[in-house]
Amino acid sequence: MKIKQKSDRQIGWHIFLIIIVYLMLIPIVFALSNSFKTTQDAYNTVFEIIPRNPTLENYIHVFQKLPFAKITLNTFLIAATVTIFKTLTSIFAAYSLVYFDYKGKAFLYFMMLSTMFIPFTVTMIPNYLLISQIGLRDNIWGVALPQLADVLGIFLLRQSMRGIPKSLIEVAKLDKIGHMKIMRDIILPLVRPSVISTGIIFFINSWNEYVWPVLILKTKENYTLSLALQMYISSEGGTDFTIAMAVSVMTMIIPLTLYIIFQRYIINTFAMSGIKG
Amino acid sequence: MNNIVFENVCKSYGKNTIVKDLNMEIKEGERLILLGPSGCGKSTTLRMIAGLEKITSGSLHMGGRCVNEVECGDRGVSMVFQNYALFPHMTVRENIIYGLKANKVDKNEIETRLKDAIKMLELGGLEDRKPKELSGGQRQRVALARAVVKKSDYFLLDEPLSNLDAQLRLRARKNLVNIHEIYHQTLVYVTHDQIEAMTVGNRVAIMYQGNMEMVDTPSNVYNHPASVFCAKFIGSPSMNISEAAYDAGRLYFQGKEIALPDMWSRLIAECGTKELYMGLRPEHMILSAKKTEDSVEGVIKYVEDYGNSYGVYVEIGNEEFIAITSGNFPMQGEKVYVKIDFEKLHIFRRDTEKSIGYPQEIMNLRRTLPDAFAQ
Amino acid sequence: MLKTEKKQAVLGYIFLIPSLVMFTVFMFYPMFYTLYLSFFKWNMIKPVKEFVGLANYVSVLSDPNTWKIFGNTLLYIVILLVFNFIVPYVLSFILSNIVKKGHGFYKSAFFLPSVISLVVGSMLYVWILNPISGPVAIIAKHFGITMPFWSKTQGWVIAVLCIITTWKSFGYNFIIILAGVSGVSQEVIEAARLDNIPMWKIFKDIVLPMSSATGIYVFITTIVQGMQYVFTPIKVITQGGPNYASSNMIYMSYHEAFTLYSTGTSSAVSVMTMALFIILLILEFKFVEKGVYYEN
Repeated sequence: MKIKQKSDRQIGWHIFLIIIVYLMLIPIVFALSNSFKTTQDAYNTVFEIIPRNPTLENYIHVFQKLPFAKITLNTFLIAATVTIFKTLTSIFAAYSLVYFDYKGKAFLYFMMLSTMFIPFTVTMIPNYLLISQIGLRDNIWGVALPQLADVLGIFLLRQSMRGIPKSLIEVAKLDKIGHMKIMRDIILPLVRPSVISTGIIFFINSWNEYVWPVLILKTKENYTLSLALQMYISSEGGTDFTIAMAVSVMTMIIPLTLYIIFQRYIINTFAMSGIKG
Repeated sequence: MNNIVFENVCKSYGKNTIVKDLNMEIKEGERLILLGPSGCGKSTTLRMIAGLEKITSGSLHMGGRCVNEVECGDRGVSMVFQNYALFPHMTVRENIIYGLKANKVDKNEIETRLKDAIKMLELGGLEDRKPKELSGGQRQRVALARAVVKKSDYFLLDEPLSNLDAQLRLRARKNLVNIHEIYHQTLVYVTHDQIEAMTVGNRVAIMYQGNMEMVDTPSNVYNHPASVFCAKFIGSPSMNISEAAYDAGRLYFQGKEIALPDMWSRLIAECGTKELYMGLRPEHMILSAKKTEDSVEGVIKYVEDYGNSYGVYVEIGNEEFIAITSGNFPMQGEKVYVKIDFEKLHIFRRDTEKSIGYPQEIMNLRRTLPDAFAQ
Repeated sequence: MLKTEKKQAVLGYIFLIPSLVMFTVFMFYPMFYTLYLSFFKWNMIKPVKEFVGLANYVSVLSDPNTWKIFGNTLLYIVILLVFNFIVPYVLSFILSNIVKKGHGFYKSAFFLPSVISLVVGSMLYVWILNPISGPVAIIAKHFGITMPFWSKTQGWVIAVLCIITTWKSFGYNFIIILAGVSGVSQEVIEAARLDNIPMWKIFKDIVLPMSSATGIYVFITTIVQGMQYVFTPIKVITQGGPNYASSNMIYMSYHEAFTLYSTGTSSAVSVMTMALFIILLILEFKFVEKGVYYEN
């Protein structure tokens, strides 16, 4: 009897958790379903997941009305540049913090780490002025630049490098192997999962970036996906919402795909980040 | 001359002194064991030789040149770590030759050395496995192979066997000595295991709290410990130590007294103090049910059966002594008489806890005997 | 210092320099410049900045709207802490100690929305929670409940914006807390269960204190990140309205700078926000890090 009661309770908890999962995921499902509905169906058959008259009209409309390929390319170029640059600098910085000894190391790391607690509004005006001054306003590189100062990757990679036994490095040092080689042959292969997930996180964050595009970009040609989507939002919902759903789907398809492929890496890396050290 | 000489070497981290004023010579081609309890500074000493720790003061010479400022890669040392430090993402082969390849050693030469090492360490057939697919003993041998192929002048080992189970350790120990017999590098080996120290070492250096207590052959370490610490650290169960006082040819301890032979009286008189410790190894305590000359009375408190011998706990005065014997002895709770073998007696000063030395007669006698206790 | 050590130190700095340059140009220098701007009256265009001392701070603090916004900020913090800190904490405990199966699935599913942009999130929720035609309104109607026009209603607007933010950051916080809670030794918990101690007590007396390092970290990031995350839905849905009812300190800074072109007041608000976060940072280092970072 008691065992049965226990498994009943387990099922109860699972139902509870599944409801939360449902609430989390249903907006995405709805977006997907509505992006293929006609406007009329979207209003009349709100609760039907499979569209009655599936249509690509919404997607076609987006491409006709907006330079959508260009917008996607802009978003991709910014995200890719930011990802490559930040991943590289984070690897070197983390390596420096873990494997070198020099004056002020702890202080420098502390300073960089504290930027996690600086609200973006504190750097917003000066960075905006700087970008304007160097003539990068309304330019995608002006969006990329301020994103390059980011301690997250240094933090995550440092964490994972510290997990490597020091003796591995010492063996290499006794063999007179230089730091670049140690990094390439020993450290990078061992922290590869963290490097990959850090890169993916950088890419997704930059892909989703909203503040800098809003401040810097003016013309539709230079827009990123966040800005394109924003044009369809009004608090009343508006009449083009099936089109907005199509834009939403196209905005989230890349991050979602990356997540689904690399979810184990990403979750493990984040799980590690909260544990002090 | 691939020797290693420490001259007044100190190592400290801030206020924490790990190694104090170390003076020692490790001779070319010998196997020197650094032995001591954890935290005694033995690993730090080894790492100073490797160049992985900087020396705070003093100077360290290797092969006749001062290496204080020589980087670890330029000292010609190879090292085996306690955790083996194998690269988890490389195969056995890659692990062994990584250092050689990185240093651009000739390809054919690498192949020869690899083949030799694999054969010698019985790693055939495992070349393409990753470390995680190996057993503990195999990993240990890969670590050895990686150190061996370097053909370096100095061979450093930091507790290389402590992660193995007892049986494997025995084999690995022999293996290690065999390898050294082939290459004859200057070998420095850190361990906290006295059996390992005695069996592997030509000489054993005992460290305690950053001080070098004594450096000598295994049999001298056992027979003539230089200090109370060495006496208690070597041998199991450890040596019985009791406070004792000397007066006019007699030794007083635990409310008992015995007459000392002349050879001891003379030595104690020379050392200038009467406040002493006496030490007796459990295996040198002779038990008897009958009172004899040179014996002191005690009571048997407890007996342990070791199978081939017994551990007998004898209370003499307020102190419990342990005796190892395979002979006859009275029942638990009964009186027993312990005869003291003056040739096996140890006397230490109470102030410095150092040995006062041994009478010439004993030294002469022992030198003629084979090293019965060197195992 | 040894020659080799000097070489090492130099290489160490060289490896760090690319990051340091970025931090200096885009973080540290702007921080001081903002502090500087907070003492001046300026509109980003005029060639001359007029020094006004603390006037910007005084005008910010004497504006009744500011106090409304401070109140909103506090309300945001409280709601976000409930949804993004307390709920995931309890859920982590349930998952790691009561429900033994399906961890991988729940983790993946909860985390999934975290990779989606808040603009998309805002878009989706504007439609789902549309008070007339949205699915939630239709269901509510069936039960005879009328959805409020939340984007135009005080209080409701903040609640809904918090829900949107929660949708994004819930999974992230959950993953981190779960790692902390799972780190609590199972033996300790099992020993308590053998003593028949009720689950809620085990949570309160054992798990909570033993995972407190992670807990405090998430507590603080929930506030710091949450305040900034919520900026996006405010900006795209309400622009701080109605009548400042959904604005917070972050949005206020933005609004002052890029709608009203008053860099002085914007900077003053930013500096005050940073002061608030720095207090949290000090708490974080006092309670969580305790020198762990220097151990290496």
